[in-house]
Amino acid sequence: MNLLENTYQLFTDEQGQFWTLVWEHVNMSLISLLCASFIAVPVGVLLTRRRSIAEPIIGIAAVLQTIPSLALLGFMILILNQIGTVPAVVALTAYALLPILRNTYTGIAGVDPALVEAATGMGMNSFRRLRKIELPMAMPVIMAGIRTSMVLIVGTATLAALISAGGLGDFIMTGIDRADNAYILLGAIPAALLALFFDLVLRITERTSQGKALAPVAVVLGVALLVVITPALASTQQEELVIGGKEGAEPEILANMYSLLIEENTDLETSVEAGLGSTSIAFNALESDDIDIYPEFTGTVTANLYDQGVPSGSTREEVYEEARGLLAEDGLAYLEPMEYNNTYALALREEEADNLGIETISDLEPHTDELVPGFTFEFADRQTDGYPAIVDTYGFEFDEVETLDAGLRSNALQEGQIDLIDAYSTDAYIIEYGLTVLEDDENVFPPYQGAPLLKQETLDDNPGLEEALNRLGGQITNEEMQEMNYEVDYEGADHREVARDYLEENNLLGSN
Amino acid sequence: MITFTDIAKTFPGADDPAVQNFNATVEQGEFFVLIGPSGCGKTTTLKMINRLIEPSTGTIRIQDKDIREWDRHELRWNVGYVLQQIALFPTMTIAENIAVVPEMRRWKKNEIKERVDELLQMVGLDPDTYRNRKPSELSGGQQQRIGVIRALAADPDIILMDEPFSALDPLSREQLQEDIRALQQNIQKTIVFVTHDMDEALALGDRICLMKDGDIVQIGTPRELKNEPANDFVRDFIGDRRDEWDTPVRSVMSGRDSQYIASVHDMPEMPLYPAPLYIFDQNDTFLGRRDGDSIASQKTVISPDHVLYDALKTFNDTDAEALPVLEEGRLVGALSYKDVMQFLQKAKLASAGGDTET
Repeated sequence: MNLLENTYQLFTDEQGQFWTLVWEHVNMSLISLLCASFIAVPVGVLLTRRRSIAEPIIGIAAVLQTIPSLALLGFMILILNQIGTVPAVVALTAYALLPILRNTYTGIAGVDPALVEAATGMGMNSFRRLRKIELPMAMPVIMAGIRTSMVLIVGTATLAALISAGGLGDFIMTGIDRADNAYILLGAIPAALLALFFDLVLRITERTSQGKALAPVAVVLGVALLVVITPALASTQQEELVIGGKEGAEPEILANMYSLLIEENTDLETSVEAGLGSTSIAFNALESDDIDIYPEFTGTVTANLYDQGVPSGSTREEVYEEARGLLAEDGLAYLEPMEYNNTYALALREEEADNLGIETISDLEPHTDELVPGFTFEFADRQTDGYPAIVDTYGFEFDEVETLDAGLRSNALQEGQIDLIDAYSTDAYIIEYGLTVLEDDENVFPPYQGAPLLKQETLDDNPGLEEALNRLGGQITNEEMQEMNYEVDYEGADHREVARDYLEENNLLGSN
Repeated sequence: MITFTDIAKTFPGADDPAVQNFNATVEQGEFFVLIGPSGCGKTTTLKMINRLIEPSTGTIRIQDKDIREWDRHELRWNVGYVLQQIALFPTMTIAENIAVVPEMRRWKKNEIKERVDELLQMVGLDPDTYRNRKPSELSGGQQQRIGVIRALAADPDIILMDEPFSALDPLSREQLQEDIRALQQNIQKTIVFVTHDMDEALALGDRICLMKDGDIVQIGTPRELKNEPANDFVRDFIGDRRDEWDTPVRSVMSGRDSQYIASVHDMPEMPLYPAPLYIFDQNDTFLGRRDGDSIASQKTVISPDHVLYDALKTFNDTDAEALPVLEEGRLVGALSYKDVMQFLQKAKLASAGGDTET
């Protein structure tokens, strides 16, 4: 099994980042568990004293639990209006409430009524009864709830990578994005081990402190506080520009280019916060000042952010101006776009394209019953420039349409489960998997040019910023971008190094 | 000590009161038993004393102070409580269980430790062996012993026991009943004891309060209940418990032919032994006891209608081995230890020989 060897190799190569991510993961999980325990245990106790409201309250926690974890994470960004650790912790906390709450309530409500009567009859008040009798009696059940929540949290925290909270999910997302199982395992195995380890720690504390109500809680509390406080002390930064980027190689390369250009040409400090799960997450992050700049496509601005289709056949300039105008109304600046056009494209496996003689999208029409497309959720849903637009414009529909995550498609493609995908013109796997990009003969797909998106005030507050970023204007061709993506995705090159190499080769870095 | 005045309790949602018109006084140092069929209100009555249940109407006073004037918790510290389910706290050691109330009363640590050891010794459990054990390591009988001394720990004036022995096997139950009787003689607490077991009530109670459907049917000593049942319910509930000791003296005594009896006319001829010798005249009137050649007055007499049990109490007041039996001033016979002995022997043989005989 080469996979494990590859994973180990990757582990040795990525040691530095690995431990950072593990630390982030532990940190995030413990804070969430702590918050959940601090909320759910007292509420659970309170409910045993007010039994009439117990079921409705536990019901609310159950509803939180039924929300898919990814949806909950996305929801928190909207409510809290920021990305990163805070919404992740809030979402994980909400997610972990139910097991602790229910077990606390059940544990205490399940204490033998005779013991409660004995305690009361001997003159214990409610609090003393709780501390001396009910909590010690219920502790195994409460701890079981905390342990369940802990496993839930450690597992779900891998998704927090999607809203830029870091953690081992970063590896998993990278792995899915690059269809690289070694990365997935490098994230998944340590996450599972972490869950086992915490479970063991909790079980040992529980066993060694039997009958003492507060001891296990105190131990967990102490350790967790330590973990929580350390990074809080360490992270006294935030006087810098944060450059964001969506999930994937390309946005992160671009973000690093921005970063390099800004640091070389201004006095500003920057940090890169790539891997944001979707357009709306990135845009919300910008609006809430979690990030200051990120590269966005012209077509995405008009179609996704403002829901305005551009007329078929619009030129690049028209789309860019349209996008710039829309953004300006909201106080956002949209700087000069780069050369390459990363538009949507439909890509078919080369052999099928050759066999069936398909070159354009129109050529697909006779084969809608035999070809199975595998579209991303986003593409399947985009009215103006996605699958619905193809149906509208070309006037045919596939009998069967699979929807799946972008990163997961390559294997399905190789194994012939799907034949056709929506791709981006610059995607590295067009090269890797030998796909043929079909010509968009009816011009359904609008131009998608990348350009730096930021708040106007950021631009105003930082002289020199505009000039630095505009150095990329008109640069980078489709082929160059494909090549850089390929280097990162398939040759394991570092994003920042790839970015630096390109900027240096093209003399964009130095002040000339 | 404990006075119930017009106590009634109707539980929310119930049509009939669980307890009504409850008026009674439990005396200082008394062992007071509440008994009756299930649902008669005996446990409800008990729990109103430590305010686990609040009466709907009426007042309960402890030493003339309305229990509602006490702080509820302090009241409970002064009223020991033993439960049917024993309910030792499983997460605590034996010593910690016993120390619960003393701790709340803020006794000093060494005082508590001394008290725990003292109580363990009192019920025959070696402190060094049992102090640090968990309740689950003890037998049922041992556990309830701890239950009892836990209630005694802070030296309360009153102890409430709610069917404390009903969950135990017959052997442990009997043993604990004996223990509690001995304990009561030593510590002289006021004990209110709920049971549904009449044998237990008769064996332990100074007085028994028999309840039915929330009402008091009869309050009295065990003998009063047995011998003067207020109605058929009491009679039925007590069952056939007329034992040998309830036999009237008339059926046990020797008649006029007793060797302890002589007419005044025959007195000079009677031998000096046996003594005493009780004398009557020609009208059968009792004259007294022979004292040499004269007749001394005899105060201690018994009636033929007395039951054996009472007669023996009278015996205990004198040194005489026989007592005169008088009916309206006339000497009808004499009761001697020998008579009693022979009677009991016969009764025993009869009951052993078969129920048909009795």
